[in-house]
Amino acid sequence: MAGMSLLRAVAGFAGRFNTIRSGFVKGHFLKTPLQPNNAVVRHGHGKAMFVIKPTQFYDRRFLRLLTFYILLTGIPVTAFITFVNVFIGEAELAEIPEGHVPEYWEYYKHPITRWIVRNVLDPPEKDYEKMMAVIQIESEKAEMRGKQLEVRRLMRERGDGPWYFYETVDKNLIDHSPKSTPDN
Amino acid sequence: MPDDFDKDVYPEPPRRTPVVEKQTSLPNIALILTKAWGFAVDAPVTVFREWIERQQAKRKFYYYHRVFRRVPDLTNCLEYDYPCQYEAEMQWRRDFKVDQEIIKIVQDRMKACQQREGESYMQNCRKEVELFKQTAKAYQSRYEDLGAHGGARQCLMKQKHRMMEERTRAAASTS
Repeated sequence: MAGMSLLRAVAGFAGRFNTIRSGFVKGHFLKTPLQPNNAVVRHGHGKAMFVIKPTQFYDRRFLRLLTFYILLTGIPVTAFITFVNVFIGEAELAEIPEGHVPEYWEYYKHPITRWIVRNVLDPPEKDYEKMMAVIQIESEKAEMRGKQLEVRRLMRERGDGPWYFYETVDKNLIDHSPKSTPDN
Repeated sequence: MPDDFDKDVYPEPPRRTPVVEKQTSLPNIALILTKAWGFAVDAPVTVFREWIERQQAKRKFYYYHRVFRRVPDLTNCLEYDYPCQYEAEMQWRRDFKVDQEIIKIVQDRMKACQQREGESYMQNCRKEVELFKQTAKAYQSRYEDLGAHGGARQCLMKQKHRMMEERTRAAASTS
């Protein structure tokens, strides 16, 4: 009995050595020695669930890229237009002063419109003249075609014009020698 | 900012706001709210707008309304003279736009009069309504029913039919 208690004491003492050895990892002591059946668990809002749902990666990537590419040119353009509207402003309406012939871009209000009309587009007078030139050329073509049809009809009918006859060989090329003497 | 309208054409009725004589000790909530709006919204916006106008006043420039020369009408063009007909057509289209704006303005005046007079518009708006009726009748007789490709030629033909009808009616009434 005394031996049993001595054995129990020694076992207890040896058990302390076990924990010391199990807590001695790689030459350092852990702060809390390893306890196999005591895991640290945080109790948050409830049981932690691994929710299985379809991926949102592709959709969110698309929207991210969409906003990026829209804003890439959208922000500079908006900033430019804002600066133009704030610092330059629109034109004011005025009566045409005496003796002054306005340039063709001075008939527009917004400064960006004026710039486009001045540097990119043709003056409206030029557009008008271009259209009139096209109409003139087409009317001349139509007139020529109509005349040609009429001339063709008349030549066919009367037969005295340079068209609609069969071409004959030149008279000077005919060799009259077989029939030139009566004895051939 | 939009231009102010002509005060003679669109007159405002005389104001009949009564003089405020406070008879309660309660605070005037309408006045408080108006002052709050003025301080919170109106004043900052006005300051910002005036700053913008100061910036824009440094670079002032103007725009004008285009003045078109009159060119020979469709009646003065030869039959196969297509450039002349094109110019006449363009002039007719410009005049058509002008007529559309005229009738819009007359209509606007009538609507403004009706809004202004409220319940008594039928007596007080006689002049505007008469003007609109005459203008609409003239516009209708000239430009109505020209078709999808309505142009100067179709309008001229319509005028010719009108004159023919007038002549037959005059002949029928005298005989």
